[in-house]
Amino acid sequence: MSSISLQRVTKAWGGFTAVRDLTLDIRQGEFMVLLGPSGCGKTTTMRMIAGLEEPTSGDVLIGGVRVNDLAPRERDIAMVFQSYGLYPHMSVADNIGYPLKLRGLGREERAARVRQAAARVELEPLLARRPRELSGGQRQRVALARAIVRQPTVFLMDEPLSNLDAKLRVSTRAEIKHLQHELGVTTVYVTHDQIEAMTLAHRVAVMAGGEIRQLDAPEAIYDRPADLFVAGFIGSPSMNLVPGEHANGVFTAAGGLRAITRVARHAGPALLGIRPEDVRVLPAGQGDLDASIYAVELTGDAVLVTAMLGPARVIARADRAWRAEIGATVALRFDATRMHLFDAASTKRLQPE
Amino acid sequence: MSGTLAQRVARVAGARRRRLVWRGVETALLLATLLIILFPILWMALTAFKRPVDLFDLTVFFTPTLDNFRTIFAHPWNIGATLLNSTIVALATVVIAIPASTLAAYAFSRFEMRGKGLLFFAILATQFIPAVVVVLPFYLLFRDLGLLDTHVALIIVNLAIVTPFAVWMLKGFLDAVPIESEEAALVDGATRLRVIIDIVVPVIWPGVLVTTVFCFILTWNEFLFALILTRDDAVTLPVGITRFRTERGDLWELIAAAGILISIPMFLLASVIQRHFVGGMTGGAVK
Repeated sequence: MSSISLQRVTKAWGGFTAVRDLTLDIRQGEFMVLLGPSGCGKTTTMRMIAGLEEPTSGDVLIGGVRVNDLAPRERDIAMVFQSYGLYPHMSVADNIGYPLKLRGLGREERAARVRQAAARVELEPLLARRPRELSGGQRQRVALARAIVRQPTVFLMDEPLSNLDAKLRVSTRAEIKHLQHELGVTTVYVTHDQIEAMTLAHRVAVMAGGEIRQLDAPEAIYDRPADLFVAGFIGSPSMNLVPGEHANGVFTAAGGLRAITRVARHAGPALLGIRPEDVRVLPAGQGDLDASIYAVELTGDAVLVTAMLGPARVIARADRAWRAEIGATVALRFDATRMHLFDAASTKRLQPE
Repeated sequence: MSGTLAQRVARVAGARRRRLVWRGVETALLLATLLIILFPILWMALTAFKRPVDLFDLTVFFTPTLDNFRTIFAHPWNIGATLLNSTIVALATVVIAIPASTLAAYAFSRFEMRGKGLLFFAILATQFIPAVVVVLPFYLLFRDLGLLDTHVALIIVNLAIVTPFAVWMLKGFLDAVPIESEEAALVDGATRLRVIIDIVVPVIWPGVLVTTVFCFILTWNEFLFALILTRDDAVTLPVGITRFRTERGDLWELIAAAGILISIPMFLLASVIQRHFVGGMTGGAVK
């Protein structure tokens, strides 16, 4: 169990900078998720921790020791790859046992520990098979078993669930969370899936353009997104962002929207953010303002109502029994305690006083 | 697609008829090609077992004899010595070329390096030079080194011929192997060399085998350099055959028997390739 520290790390290829001056401290035993869209630098960051990429500048520390010049095998880490990276010519048992074989463990002890690791991920009946005879979920579990078999100080997981079908993803997600809790190993997990980030992480680092936009606990990231990017990236459907003007603590926008913001010291163009579940749909005339319905979508557990607010569209999450015709007029009520204000120029969140 | 359903059905039936005709033409062409390729081989095989008197008889029914094989292995032909020379040269060439080429191809496939494209092109470019252009320089070189008519000279020359080819071929196989298994092995605790031995070579084994066989065949059949650089001690089988052109004329039955000798390893190796080249080994590594 080691802490990991990235200090002003940059990775550039020719003219392209994948990771820019990134500093990140991961605590001992922490489950850290690097979350961001493809190309945001999250995988590169993880590969620099693994030693598969060399930082152009900056330092990588594991357990307080600078590891920049150490090969991957000298860092005492285990990694689960997006496409598993199994050894196709070896049986499942040999796949799991390979890290132990490289460390010179005897056949007996190797077999015992392979069985143990396989039992943890319910692979025991499949030990004699080859990877090509396994389903995607089983392959994924082989990769997990290979990672846990030698009890490393750090786990690195690069989108380990992205090749699984939706149902398997949910159950494997829970398994990973349980495993990490049980073993208490410092874990870095890369994903573009916000649900994975929210459910797994102790802390989430939201990345974009090679930089960390926000580093915080999942609930803080959801409740207090630091900027427009984070606000739009986290949540499904994503947060409504209505452009308008802000002055003297009042936000106004086309379509008759007027909201008290509790942000005194800001004037100028701004965006009001509010999550769909914080918008209530009421009969016309009973809310903050009236709007006409653009679309109604039943998702099963809720009804998503899209309403026109001037040129902007606002999505509200209504009860699953709620029904209305497209074009009808309804009232919207915004939960004032859950409104977010962002400065249009800097895209930063304006903190209420 | 237009027209009524009936018209469309008729059109499909017409297309099927045309396909059948084409299939027939294809088969006929294939058979013709096969005949052109196989007939000389068949004729050689027949000639090898004929007595000299039957030689110019076009019949395929004759009393077969093994005398020709006995003759070529006996004095003065001693084809056995050239067979041994060929075997030594071809095996030594392959044993050196394949491991070296595998490492080179791995470097070309996996590592970033300055001038990689140029270097790779340079390796290929050596193959563009016609052998006759360099055979004289090679002759002078080996004469000055005192290596004329030795196995070492032939092995060096053959390495120069097959190594670029092997590097190029193996790089193709390596490029098709997903890199994640290798990275997993690196993280699991393997050194780069260990990765190549434990992970890469087993996965591209069919490719290594095919490359080995091709290199062996190239060396086995190499004629020009062997002709110029050897005289007595290191003469290889293809050059040895030329000795059957004597002042008494061409001894066709002996040429054919030696031809069989040359061909046997080719047939064996071809069948090995066929067996191992079916199906990829990489299934299930990723995704």
